[in-house]
Amino acid sequence: MSAVAETISRPEAAAPPAAASAAARPRKRATRGLLRLRTPLPRGWGPTIAVGASVAIVLAWEFVARLGLTTPLFFPSPTAILSAMARMISDQHLLWHAWVSTLRVWGAFLLAAVLAIPIGVAMSGYRVVGAALEPAIDFIRYLPVPALVPLAIIWFGVGEETKIFLLWLGTFFQLVLLVADDMRRVPQEYVEIAYTVGANEGQVLKDVAFRAMLPGLVDNLRITLGWCWTYLIIAEIVAADSGLGFVIWAARRYMKTPEVMAGVVLIGVIGLATDQLLRLIHRRAFRYL
Amino acid sequence: MTHLQFDQVTKSFGAVPVVETPFNLAIDRHEFVVFLGPSGCGKTTLMRMIGGLDQPTSGEIRLEGEPVGAPDRRRGMVFQSYSSFPWLTVAQNVAFGLKYRNDLSEQEKAVRAERYLDLVGLYEFSDHFPSQVSGGMRQRIAIARTLAAGADVLLMDEPFGALDALRREQLQTELRRIQRRDAKTIVFVTHDVEEALFLADRVVVFSKRPTRIVAEIDVRSRLGEERSLEIRDGEDFFALRRETIGLVRAAAGDEL
Repeated sequence: MSAVAETISRPEAAAPPAAASAAARPRKRATRGLLRLRTPLPRGWGPTIAVGASVAIVLAWEFVARLGLTTPLFFPSPTAILSAMARMISDQHLLWHAWVSTLRVWGAFLLAAVLAIPIGVAMSGYRVVGAALEPAIDFIRYLPVPALVPLAIIWFGVGEETKIFLLWLGTFFQLVLLVADDMRRVPQEYVEIAYTVGANEGQVLKDVAFRAMLPGLVDNLRITLGWCWTYLIIAEIVAADSGLGFVIWAARRYMKTPEVMAGVVLIGVIGLATDQLLRLIHRRAFRYL
Repeated sequence: MTHLQFDQVTKSFGAVPVVETPFNLAIDRHEFVVFLGPSGCGKTTLMRMIGGLDQPTSGEIRLEGEPVGAPDRRRGMVFQSYSSFPWLTVAQNVAFGLKYRNDLSEQEKAVRAERYLDLVGLYEFSDHFPSQVSGGMRQRIAIARTLAAGADVLLMDEPFGALDALRREQLQTELRRIQRRDAKTIVFVTHDVEEALFLADRVVVFSKRPTRIVAEIDVRSRLGEERSLEIRDGEDFFALRRETIGLVRAAAGDEL
């Protein structure tokens, strides 16, 4: 208690010495202010700090690797990874593999979304549907995707279907529950307003409930798309002759660590770019928020 | 002439009774009735049943002699929060009241929406989103939407509860003016004594549960039909207010 009081009264106590260096004071206060809980960043600082910190991490990594503090076999430098990536692009069709992976991710993701949105909406909108489906969905949701790989191969062989199925499996059941939750959070008032101006049930769903849940839904789709990439690697390691998972796994066999890391980095870059793009779309589409 | 009638209405949610003793009340056409009572006393539930948003467990509510059914646009609702859609502009929110009317052309709808936008003084904010206007304006959007829909019964659930005193006073004056001008029947729920007396033709004072009517105050005979800030500051208003607070305290019983 007394410690708190001391902390609070300190600025006044420190006032006389600080007054001597009045010119340096505002600046100092500004930087210290950034570390206060929930302080908003000044305009334009966010991206600057993000890029600056990322560059700093890469530079530190490069520096440590150049000093010879790491074994290149285990932890190659960023430049080594970059040159491996350049080589892979020209000799091993790396971009084509990335494109194949991206198609798989989006194919499975869209399939999951197209099914999950109506089912999730129905689960919250109609208690009977929710009660019927929730146990089954919860059950499957907890199964680890890798555990279902053998089953997927028995059902679909080792073709595209297996990969799409595994990705779909990892996202659909999660997404259904997220959609159901978005729908559940639509304020009852919105629904009742619509009914009292003469809307029928279909109109309430389409014009009000869906519209109200849309920002949350788009956010959840963005997050789920990220999960797809997680399962992609599992799917492509199992049985594939294309895709980034295949590239990474093949490079590992020969202990080509820079190539493994180049593949991993590329996934990260694609993920980051997609995420930023979807965020931008979200901001544009939902200006009213 | 009776517009709305509660006939032996009871309501329970599952095993939880809200209105136990059969409730009876007749509301005249163009009457402004305020339900005044402690929170959780069932006044909101009674109002929602008029709107068809909750169904009586037993008994009947009649609108112009006919039992009320599912919600329709004759009975408009103004809620305390989430009263307008954030994804629509102010003008689109008001026009939403007319969206499902097939008997009007698009042009008639536009003219009508504009008229009510103007009536509540929001015309210059037409293209703003609700998040860009004040809480008081958001409630005015809801009022305009309900009026535009053509409701002749307005059901208002503490619509000014979240506003500051000044804006609240301003909206109360406006609402009373609109009600007189457009001849609407209004059922208004609040726990604010002053608000109740300033707005109402008749205040119905509720007890805490089990819900029953403790008193009916004929405000019209005491204060007249015209309400202004002068009346609000007058002797009669103060006397009535003191009386009503006494009733509310007695009704709240040991809660206070």
